[in-house]
Amino acid sequence: MTGKINYLVGNAKFSFDPYEPFSKEVCIFLDIFSKELNLIKDIKNYPDLKALSFWCRNKNISKLKKNFNLDKNRIGLGGIFHVTPANIPTNFVYSLIFGLLTGNSNVVKVPSKEFEQVNIICSLIKKILKKTNNVLKNKITIIRYTDNNEFTKKISSRCNARIIWGGDQTINSLRNFKINERAIDINFADRYSFCIMDASKMEKMSNFEIKNLVQRFYNDTYLVDQNACSSPHLIVWLGKNSKKLKEKFWKELYDLVKIKYKFNESALVEKYTDLCKFAASLNNIKNIQKFNNLIYKIELKKIDKNNHNNRGKWGLFFEYNSKNLAEIKNIINNKYQTLTYCGVDKLLLKKFVLQNNLKGIDRIVPIGQSLNIGLLWDGYDILNILSRGIEIK
Amino acid sequence: MNNQNQFYKEIYRLTKYHYKNSKEYKKILNLLFPGKIKKTIENIPFIPAKLFKDIKLKSISDKKVFKILQSSGTSGGKTSKIYLDKQNAQKQTFVLNEIASKILGKQRLPMLIIDEKKNISDPKQFDAKTAAILGFSLFGNSHHYLIKEKKIDYKTLNNFMEKYSNSTFFIFGFTSYVYEFLIKSINNSKLKKNFSNAVLIHGGGWKKMEKIKISNEIFKKKLKEKLKLENIFNYYGLIEQTGSIFFECRKCSCFVTSKYSDVLIRDKNFKILNNNKVGFIQLLSLLPKSYPGHSILTEDMGEIIENNCNLCFGKKKFLVHGRAEKSEIRGCSDV
Repeated sequence: MTGKINYLVGNAKFSFDPYEPFSKEVCIFLDIFSKELNLIKDIKNYPDLKALSFWCRNKNISKLKKNFNLDKNRIGLGGIFHVTPANIPTNFVYSLIFGLLTGNSNVVKVPSKEFEQVNIICSLIKKILKKTNNVLKNKITIIRYTDNNEFTKKISSRCNARIIWGGDQTINSLRNFKINERAIDINFADRYSFCIMDASKMEKMSNFEIKNLVQRFYNDTYLVDQNACSSPHLIVWLGKNSKKLKEKFWKELYDLVKIKYKFNESALVEKYTDLCKFAASLNNIKNIQKFNNLIYKIELKKIDKNNHNNRGKWGLFFEYNSKNLAEIKNIINNKYQTLTYCGVDKLLLKKFVLQNNLKGIDRIVPIGQSLNIGLLWDGYDILNILSRGIEIK
Repeated sequence: MNNQNQFYKEIYRLTKYHYKNSKEYKKILNLLFPGKIKKTIENIPFIPAKLFKDIKLKSISDKKVFKILQSSGTSGGKTSKIYLDKQNAQKQTFVLNEIASKILGKQRLPMLIIDEKKNISDPKQFDAKTAAILGFSLFGNSHHYLIKEKKIDYKTLNNFMEKYSNSTFFIFGFTSYVYEFLIKSINNSKLKKNFSNAVLIHGGGWKKMEKIKISNEIFKKKLKEKLKLENIFNYYGLIEQTGSIFFECRKCSCFVTSKYSDVLIRDKNFKILNNNKVGFIQLLSLLPKSYPGHSILTEDMGEIIENNCNLCFGKKKFLVHGRAEKSEIRGCSDV
């Protein structure tokens, strides 16, 4: 198997050298990148590019830099091989930026599917590198290939770290390629995410606030077909069972989805199949509610430790009423990633994780922020993991 | 109209029967079609064809399983499994016979099969293609197979044609195979006879044809031009409803329902659509009794046709437009 290596940015003479985290060159590069990206002609058609431009704006990078203690005597690890996911067009840039900010040289493998966003980003990076005759030139290499085990083997043995964006299948297949004894893997595996809302606290919310909440919930879910690892599949309603509020929530969501969501019809039968499959195979379903085919809602009467298999797409949710947090502690395992919340004290949720010795839940964020990627992601403190500290006495 | 009422009474009875005899089907109905089982056409419960890939669905005990039909799964995908008891298997043969004899007549005809001869290792378990070939083989005799080691076996073909092509003979194959071998690869200079006396029945796999943009019309035209083959009948059917298949009308090329089958078209909210409106095809069949496959929602798009065709006049008929274009799901999970 020797598929051709297609260099979208850079060439075969890529560097594996480390340098200082948050280097001046990187910060300037990102600043230009952010500004120029925002100026491209069709940016309004690409909300993901807009978000990317916003994410790497000077202000955000400076904030990250401030939080990172520069006195720590750190330097990057060296060369990073990034294997990025097939379905999110802009994910590979975030992975690359993580590598750049931490002071590393990067070889980024992008998905074989040709997204327009990938082309836009790559030609922009090329342009900036050329114009500025940048020292980063051989530290940013972006490639596309399929079926080339030789290359994967070679680069795996040479690099100092691999960042592998899952699914589990990709991670396991890359485990067949050895890395150096000192090298590390950061695996972003398949995860399960959920949401906790306290209905009795939410009863005090105004109509406007509920609408706003529902919009944010929509962004966490429907915006990515409910298929991001941080999109919630399960909604736990905490405390008093407020039927009225729940009804209002779903009704508002339905009204929003009806207007905003472009549900591809080819997925409809698949979604319906999933629903039938759950109905036929689970024994803990209380009832199922359908809002046409836009929202499927499966209410559970009991919840168990296999709950992480209850995973919906395109707006298929599981719902459970829980008297208190203690009742759900047994379902949490290391599959659980993001917990989004509303009407619950975040410190209480933090306590829930710490005091119950939970192996899962890496993120506790308000509803609406489930997709906000940062340098603390999936439980990994990326800045520290991708750089090494030097002890100086 | 009376026939229609009778048909829906039967479907209602089948729904009740499967509700009683399949635990999984009962759970689905309880949760997704709550309340009493409805008799009206639009309220007849339906399950998706794909569900047979995920869940073991049958209304008979393990002991009574006589045969298992399997869909030919796409690369790496799961396959559907259809559990038949002896009675259901016989009924499929009986009904297929009744429907096909309208085209082929009651006499068995010499038969050319557009496939390779396979040894069936397990006579109780086979895939959709093998099931179709075996099913249609009952209408033929002197069976010859066209393909050998992925190539046309001209010796066998010419032998067959020498002997039988002077009177009516029967050709059967999957649509994509017929295209591949009888349209694309066949070399006319190696043929000693033409196919003007042939009746071709083909079905399955328009997906491949859509990809290469060959319509039913072009397909027919090419066979006529190349081989003088004119009697061509496309059929449409689900492995979940083997037996009650739909043949195209010789004149207007619509698929025609029989007294054993019906078709409904649903929109994206699963509301029933009027004639000449495109939506998801739901197929109904009186045959499935050992498994709950009598009312199936397919992934195919189609429409019920109202026209003035005088050949299939008075019958319900429909066109299949293939599958909705798959778009890539967003998100990062590949599960």
